[in-house]
Amino acid sequence: MTTQITSARPAAGPRKGTRRRPPASSATTVGRPGFAWALPAALFFALFAIVPLIMVAVLSFMSWDGISPPRFTGTDNWSRLMDDPVMLKSIWLTLLLTALGVLLQTPLSIVLGVWAAGHQRNRAVLSVIYFIPLLLSATAVSVLWRALLDPNFGIPADAAWLFGDGNLFGEQATAIGVLAFVSTWQFTPFHTLIYQGAARAIPQVLYQAAEIDGAGRYRQFFHITLPQLRNAMITAMILMIVGGLTTFETVLILTQGGPGTDTTISAYYMYDKAFKGFDYGTGSAIALALVVASTIISLIVVRVSGYDKMRGSAEGVS
Amino acid sequence: MKTRARLPRLVATGATLALALSLSACGDGDGGASGDDGKIHVLVYGDATNKVEKQLVDTFNKTSDVKVVLDTIPGADYQQKLQTIINTPQAPDVFFNWGGGSIKPFVKAGLLLPLDDLIKKNPDLENKFLPSVFNNAVVDGKPYGVPMRGTQPVLLFHNKKVLDEAGVEPPKTWDELLDAVGKLKDEGVTPIALGGGDVWPTQMWFQYLYDRIAGPELFQKALGGDKSAWESPDSKKALGMIRELVDTGAFGKNYDSVKYTNGGSVQLVAAGKAGFELMGSWYYSQQLTDHQEFAEKDLGYTAFPAVEGGKGDPADVAGNTNNYYSVMKKTKHPEAVAEFLKLMYSDEFVKAQLEIGNLPTTTNTDEFIETSGTPEYSRFQYDLVADAPSFQLSWDQAYPQKASSDMHKAVQQFFNGQLDTDGFIKAMQALPTE
Repeated sequence: MTTQITSARPAAGPRKGTRRRPPASSATTVGRPGFAWALPAALFFALFAIVPLIMVAVLSFMSWDGISPPRFTGTDNWSRLMDDPVMLKSIWLTLLLTALGVLLQTPLSIVLGVWAAGHQRNRAVLSVIYFIPLLLSATAVSVLWRALLDPNFGIPADAAWLFGDGNLFGEQATAIGVLAFVSTWQFTPFHTLIYQGAARAIPQVLYQAAEIDGAGRYRQFFHITLPQLRNAMITAMILMIVGGLTTFETVLILTQGGPGTDTTISAYYMYDKAFKGFDYGTGSAIALALVVASTIISLIVVRVSGYDKMRGSAEGVS
Repeated sequence: MKTRARLPRLVATGATLALALSLSACGDGDGGASGDDGKIHVLVYGDATNKVEKQLVDTFNKTSDVKVVLDTIPGADYQQKLQTIINTPQAPDVFFNWGGGSIKPFVKAGLLLPLDDLIKKNPDLENKFLPSVFNNAVVDGKPYGVPMRGTQPVLLFHNKKVLDEAGVEPPKTWDELLDAVGKLKDEGVTPIALGGGDVWPTQMWFQYLYDRIAGPELFQKALGGDKSAWESPDSKKALGMIRELVDTGAFGKNYDSVKYTNGGSVQLVAAGKAGFELMGSWYYSQQLTDHQEFAEKDLGYTAFPAVEGGKGDPADVAGNTNNYYSVMKKTKHPEAVAEFLKLMYSDEFVKAQLEIGNLPTTTNTDEFIETSGTPEYSRFQYDLVADAPSFQLSWDQAYPQKASSDMHKAVQQFFNGQLDTDGFIKAMQALPTE
């Protein structure tokens, strides 16, 4: 009996130990797709992700300007990056922007998502309007905001009491603020969608029970809705963090890493080195560091949050 | 068992797909000149001027056995794409560039054909162009490019109405400019519009002041690898004058948030909120497009003011000298290429360029200026360039491409006060010169 149960739910089984192959004749494996189904995707992934990644790793130990043949220079690129103040600054800026993104977008998208999951009047229409920023490309969004924030003819000109002389892109603090704002403006709708789906999946019986017990709307939100959104929150946060670490277009178009190097985040620094400075070796090293960092951070989030052994949130309800 | 049976077929499908994809990636050979197919591939920056280039290619193909194929790359990606294909079989035979540092790495890598043999056979390939322009594609004493398209000197533009209201004449000297700045400030307008968000407009102020104060030699020395040029007294004097200009509020306080490329600074001048703007000669047609009435009535232009006591000739010009056609060493038809390049000083070329507002730098341009859309403006520019003892190529084009990003950073940081004089000098000294 026990074997049958484990083979029915292999994902919940112990991670360590011998890998058990479910008996081919077992009734539980019927309908489980074979490995062959994953093959095309795996091939594509290997061709367009793994192979380039390996090439980037090799290139990070070379000096190459794109014209002359690449030369092996050992760990030169890496040791230079370690001492590069701009690199250190870019890491700090990347983390700061990522953190700002998570802090701004999470509460906003939870509130909007839970609201959008309800049945209020006009909800559907307003939800569609809120969703529009996500439909625009990041490039279009950035060009749009750069024009809207022109100090002499944009919003700052009409709201001098708030923006002062409007030099938003000329100072580090305000430039970072603009970057965080624009990403929030664009990506909140996406996370709202995640939370909306998750909020819809919360069993209504929980709210009915709470109502009988006399819990008000706010108590219901904090004691039922929020805890039930835990898994969605982890998913959204991982997406935000990975997205934040690899933000690029907004910086490229809004600030070009400036003023000076004040908004040069790591992904932009990679572009700057590789494609503007024609130093593909150093660019590759930064790229690889970003891949490693993103993977580690995602793994940490997964571990700490218990995402890897995520339980269905409806467990124990039915 | 069912899945087992499907496996080989799936593998086969997947493999075929992957192959087809990689094949189609290789087969994208339109832009390539792989092998001798009896054609010359000419690669140009893709924009409105392509109209003229297409016309010339058609003219050439009517009489030539070796046909020219014109390939265009959309503007913003041109430099990156060129760098990627230049050392591959996809490389063109002839390509568009900015002369100076933009081709130096290719020369060093031995990819370009020195044109001196072709010029020996046909001296007009050199003689028919203005020398100050032609010389910007000379690397290590050998010519590597023939001018094409038009010249783009940087001029000091102004709003006539704003200047009148402040009682200011277009400045001929630096002191007059400073005086004008003061008077315009009193009128409550930004004296000088600057699209600092793009950084390269900021750099134009450095180019001209260095040239006026130290003459063209200082920058040539620095470009040649002599880093002491940057810490010379002349260099420090130029930096001091820039600092003074910025600190008096000549550019207002928010210039780093203003862009030229989205029309911000252009509108500042057109709307009468600023007096001057230093910009390349394309500014006129930009204003004509964006603010036609203003451009036709109130847009004025002068040369950059002289600096008293400076070593540089006040007739010197800075900007983009011109674009050039360079030839790859591997081309199989150098004779046909030479024939094609001869078209770049033909009457047809000059007329067609003038018609779309470009100012060619050939010796016969003079005869056709009256046929241009804006003869007065074309005449002013042509005389300016023809009489200039020196034409300083924009710093970021004169240096190797890989230096431009760091140079822009230094320029912006010194301008807005993030770097002091010593910091700027160090940053410029750290730039690669080859």
